[in-house]
Amino acid sequence: MKEDISDTELVAAFKAGDTEALGLLMGRHKDAVYGYLLRLTGRADVADDLFQEVFLKLVKNPSSYSEREKFKAWLFTVARNAAMDHFRRDSSRREIPLEGDGEKAGAADLIASAEPGPAESFYGRDLARRIEEALASLSEDQREVFYLRHYSQLSFKEIAELLKVPIGTVLARMSRAAARLRDKLGDGMQ
Amino acid sequence: MNCGFGEKLILYRYGEAGEAIEAEVRAHLVGCAACRGELAALEAAEASLAAGAAGPSPAAVAAVMGAARSSGRGLFSFNWGEALLSGGLAAALFFILTVSGHRAADLAWNNGLDDKLDNVEYSVYQAQADINSSSMDWEYGISSLEDETLDLSKNV
Repeated sequence: MKEDISDTELVAAFKAGDTEALGLLMGRHKDAVYGYLLRLTGRADVADDLFQEVFLKLVKNPSSYSEREKFKAWLFTVARNAAMDHFRRDSSRREIPLEGDGEKAGAADLIASAEPGPAESFYGRDLARRIEEALASLSEDQREVFYLRHYSQLSFKEIAELLKVPIGTVLARMSRAAARLRDKLGDGMQ
Repeated sequence: MNCGFGEKLILYRYGEAGEAIEAEVRAHLVGCAACRGELAALEAAEASLAAGAAGPSPAAVAAVMGAARSSGRGLFSFNWGEALLSGGLAAALFFILTVSGHRAADLAWNNGLDDKLDNVEYSVYQAQADINSSSMDWEYGISSLEDETLDLSKNV
């Protein structure tokens, strides 16, 4: 069964001409990569474009992925670089504010649609909004580590390698993010 | 408040703590409301992200798959490769059959079979000629003997 085949084997199959292998790879990772990009950029259209950019890199230059590294680590490195390039091109917005400016969505807009989203249905609009506000209050470094861990499920050691920082730095950022979230969410979280 | 368990708490929360650190954190959590609060905040934030999970648009996925098919990889190119291979094999087979057919014709002309047949035919002709010649010789001999016999009988 192809579901049991590793990511590395699927990439090898794709390199050998099996398009179905690419479909399986995307099926496994598309939501995580897209979710990560959506969180970083705050815009669904930009996240869609960057998502394509990430997987097109594999299509156009499959040798850019070496079988010696973990595919998911490579994928999120490419996704992060694509987001960084986007921020460099569109330097008007690096931090995602809570409120949008009419053209671009703010972090709070991710949950503030007219219809309740899944997170709001799960928590209720008030708590969901408080969580979004707490996430938006994290520093850029803290958010980056927190989102990378959540969406990629890579180990902290792998995240440290991806970000090219010591693992202690990654753990410290996560720890400060946890403290910040607790402070923002208040006593109800204890 | 800094109880010094910040990083250990992170390793514990995400399942990367060893047994010793895990036990240490468990014991610590009993008496530390701040760490319990951090754990609860992380749980809430993680659950909120999971509940709000979304995927790329079908158009984005289709665009990637379309690019893969038209970039010379995948099923499309594989069929082209297969077609080219089949065409090449067919051409090679045609060439071999055509050339071998000509060679067969050339062999029929050049292998000396006809010459041999001619030789056999000539030999047969020669043998027949020899036989005829011998036969004539015998007839001539017989007629000579008959003449001599006739002469002797006259003399007698």
